Amino acid sequence: MKRLLAGLAACYALGIILADFIRLDYWWIISVAICLFVFASFGAKKARLFLILVLFLAMLAGCLNLKSSSNLSQCHLRNFVAYKDSCIYSVSGFVSSALESKHGLYWFTLRAQEIQVDKLKYNCCGELLVKMDFEPELNYGTNLTLTGNLRRLYSFRNQNQGYQNFLARQSIYLVMSVKEPRQIIRRPGSSGIKLIARCLALRAYLEKLISRHLPDLAAGILSAMVLGQKRAIPWLVNDSMVKSGTVHILVVSGFNVGIVAFTVNLLLKILRLGRKTRIMLTAICLLIYCLMTGSTNPVIRATVMGLVFLAAYLFKREPDIYNSLLGAALFILVINPRQLFDIGFQLSFISVLAIVYFYPKLEAWTHLELCRIKILKFIGQGCLVSFSAWLGTLVIIALNFRIIAPVTVLANILIVPLATLITLCGFTLVLSGLIYPDLAHLFSLPIAGLITLLLNINAVLVKLPGAFFYL
Amino acid sequence: MLNFTPEERKVALFLLGLAFCGLVLSNLIKVNCRLEARVYPQIQLARLNLNKVSLSELASAKCVPVKLAQRIIEYRDFCKEFSSLEELKEVKGIGGKRFEKLKEIFFIE
Repeated sequence: MKRLLAGLAACYALGIILADFIRLDYWWIISVAICLFVFASFGAKKARLFLILVLFLAMLAGCLNLKSSSNLSQCHLRNFVAYKDSCIYSVSGFVSSALESKHGLYWFTLRAQEIQVDKLKYNCCGELLVKMDFEPELNYGTNLTLTGNLRRLYSFRNQNQGYQNFLARQSIYLVMSVKEPRQIIRRPGSSGIKLIARCLALRAYLEKLISRHLPDLAAGILSAMVLGQKRAIPWLVNDSMVKSGTVHILVVSGFNVGIVAFTVNLLLKILRLGRKTRIMLTAICLLIYCLMTGSTNPVIRATVMGLVFLAAYLFKREPDIYNSLLGAALFILVINPRQLFDIGFQLSFISVLAIVYFYPKLEAWTHLELCRIKILKFIGQGCLVSFSAWLGTLVIIALNFRIIAPVTVLANILIVPLATLITLCGFTLVLSGLIYPDLAHLFSLPIAGLITLLLNINAVLVKLPGAFFYL
Repeated sequence: MLNFTPEERKVALFLLGLAFCGLVLSNLIKVNCRLEARVYPQIQLARLNLNKVSLSELASAKCVPVKLAQRIIEYRDFCKEFSSLEELKEVKGIGGKRFEKLKEIFFIE
């Protein structure tokens, strides 16, 4: 089988879907898996039989992983709290995410280590979402003790929709609303992974650097495009981009990861470093960028794909796009199988898969390679890429967001090249700001102009007749 | 000294082009202040003007329910115009939490 990794990932995902739809007994799955394993070890000589058994085993692994991910350990924080509970809890742990904010509300996640209930202390594990309406001075890794009510969320929607399920996919089952600063007690020292703390601190510094050189609106958009920080994006801009189907430019994705890899590789090339050293350093920079932008699904996908491509380049092997893409999906799903039901995960992978699958077919069908005028060929290729992604994601967007936007194809042709230029300029601004801040001011004016142009084009496109319609 | 690879030349050209654009724009802004409004993104692109927005615009933006949009327009017609965003709290159905959201959607000129 040419694409074994892709096959394994597909079967693994199928196993997760099966386990979600059909109620399979945990021990029944294990016994079948053991039987298959025995058969596979006996039938190792027959290649086809062995392959089928391995694919079945991958499917059962998907089933088992989903089942075990829904079983929480006995010391999990959720097991100490009842649904309707007015007890005051004291939870100790450390901040395990960056502080987020929106509409005057602040929140972060706390990795719990100890819980106190009725003067009795227990060791515990699990994560807790902490919400407050004042800005606390907290960073990733800060040790804290929080006092207050713990609330278990209940969803009236189906299994994969609603806020509770969104949080459950991130292994968060409890929320604590903090009303006053005195409910938060800082403890000495810090925990967590030092590298993540450094990366998040670097992101905060770069955000300040961007907002120092650009006005609020432009800074918010550039921070989203370069650093993956969306909190300063106005609601109307976000909504307008959802309507034109170009909201993907406001998140860090494979495109940004590609730019980082290209820029780092180029800088190292200028420094005349060797090929192997360049590849190693580029891979390290990609990992740092992934951590800095919050390790969201699209960034993890792009980083894993980027690492696969770098490894192929290092070992002088031909990389396979399907293997690397589905390998990245497998990587995410092994860690958290419930991500398969996340809309962001689905859109991220299906859009890339649609481009990879449909684009060559459409290009051959339209005989685009025969076009001799370069600019027309370039525009045609842009149209086909945009159309392929739109085609692939059409059903998911229509089902989840109840919107169909035919303007997406045109909008992407106009906006994506502009967004590419803005992102490249954004990285230039950030790098120059780190090295020579005065130069950054010079670069900021063209960026502001390009962002204004992008917003104006988007506003015009959304107003076109039949640009979008709600279902 | 100019023994650059084609890629390095492209990067150098890009950086020079960007710096050149920056210089030209900053000079143009100094000469004509009106250009600043063209270069920097205006608030109208990111927020709705509370004193000029129509009911249809408000309803199509889907930032508030239709009934509440009607109440906002009725209040504006009654008072001639909103003097501050805080005045939105006077409209029935807008409490503290909704106001926090709405103040990031509207602006007053």
